[in-house]
Amino acid sequence: MKYGFFPGCTFKGAAGYKESTEAVSQILQTELVEIEDWNCCGATSYWSLEDLPALILPARVMALAEKHNFKEVVNVCNACYSTLRKAQDKLAEDERLMEQVNEALAEETLSYTGSTKIRHYMEVVVNDLDPEEIKKHIKVNLKHLTIAPYYGCQLNRPWGDIDDLQHPVMMDRLIETLGASVATNYSAKTVCCGASHMMPYEKNCLPQIRRIVSDAHAKGAQAISTLCPLCQFNVDAPQSALDLPDIPVLYFTQLMGLAFGLEEKDLQLKKLLVPFKMAVWGG
Amino acid sequence: MDNAALKEKFFEKYHGEELQNCIQCGTCSGSCPLAPYMDYGPRQLFQLAREGDMEEILKANTMWLCVSCYNCTVKCPRDIVITDHMYTLKKIALQEGIQAPTTKLPALYKSFMGSVERYGKITDISVMNRYAFRQPMDVMGNAFLALKLARRKRLEYKVHPVKNLAGFKKVMKKARELEKTS
Ligand code: SF4
Ligand code: SF4
Repeated sequence: MKYGFFPGCTFKGAAGYKESTEAVSQILQTELVEIEDWNCCGATSYWSLEDLPALILPARVMALAEKHNFKEVVNVCNACYSTLRKAQDKLAEDERLMEQVNEALAEETLSYTGSTKIRHYMEVVVNDLDPEEIKKHIKVNLKHLTIAPYYGCQLNRPWGDIDDLQHPVMMDRLIETLGASVATNYSAKTVCCGASHMMPYEKNCLPQIRRIVSDAHAKGAQAISTLCPLCQFNVDAPQSALDLPDIPVLYFTQLMGLAFGLEEKDLQLKKLLVPFKMAVWGG
Repeated sequence: MDNAALKEKFFEKYHGEELQNCIQCGTCSGSCPLAPYMDYGPRQLFQLAREGDMEEILKANTMWLCVSCYNCTVKCPRDIVITDHMYTLKKIALQEGIQAPTTKLPALYKSFMGSVERYGKITDISVMNRYAFRQPMDVMGNAFLALKLARRKRLEYKVHPVKNLAGFKKVMKKARELEKTS
């Protein structure tokens, strides 16, 4: 199946997210076609300072998707996902804003109707594919690996329509499909990672990272899986400041790649700050 | 603007009037991960808004500490879109030039926007460079981390701008014009 793909600004620099996503989407034949000439979604910065430009940025991305006849826009970042959905909601309920957005987009002969469905790749894998089909690609037995599924905030909140608001289970199901074990009762799964506040307010955000990491340890996990570049970075990078044992933080696509028998270098595991070594768990 | 005019702006233009429905239950402040560091938690902030003490609100660090986690919004028994009101209060504070003295967020947001306005995109470096001018200590504190990232070839120095950059800029310019006239 073919999807319009919105990588977002942080995808390329994220630790192996791009490489692993490309590799597994090829194996699973979920064709992610990059939306040509996409721009930054604006994220929390624009919502915080601007009215109309904060809507224009995500609207332009969706207008480009419409122009190329994509019915669905697939994201790999929680912030991009929520920004696009939020813009879509706001424009759907305000005719005047909709007119203004289209008047501005007309400068580039683009138009926005709001017809595209906004999705996250993790949810595409779980909802659009038959788990039995995914299992056919498994080459490595991961049953000795226990994973803490960390979702972050902005995939399920504020909507709560694709999964439970506080206790989502979609990635849990994916981990089980891949043959690994899910850390049970991982209650930190939707604790906020601090997002862009980690730089200016690191001290205030560290307690949240501590909770995400210590709960993963307490529930017997050997690794945390994530689905957003900001979450991955915020949970991976400050661990040296926590005086807790380190725990690797993988993208769900890297975990899939490991199960599918891809090499550590295909998945760029060496880019993680807390190292993950498959050999340790015996494969 | 005086308190009354500010309240009108918040309540009329930005839908703050729904705060009249707040029952002061405190669920928002109780579920907010940053509330312990806020001058006023969301509940107290909204009470002040209803009382019309807008200048006090705009001086608070509350909305600048909000990380948009939507914990409060999904739990509010009165369906108040709390996170959106935090966004609004940031906007009004900046428009009025009022700001909690310890707030560093506008510097970060502006650094982010500087890169978007110029290239249509960001890289971590393009934001950090701009932020470093405004808050050098925060960036220096992260120098060690930057080194670790560089060793793992994770730092992208070059921004690959939007292809139709001229078109993109025209769209943004038009958006700003439309906003002014509305
Ligand atoms: S949760 Fe809602 S009703 Fe309760 S204090 Fe907060 S804003 Fe008011
Ligand atoms: S959205 Fe903001 S105010 Fe609400 S709980 Fe999260 S940090 Fe606190």
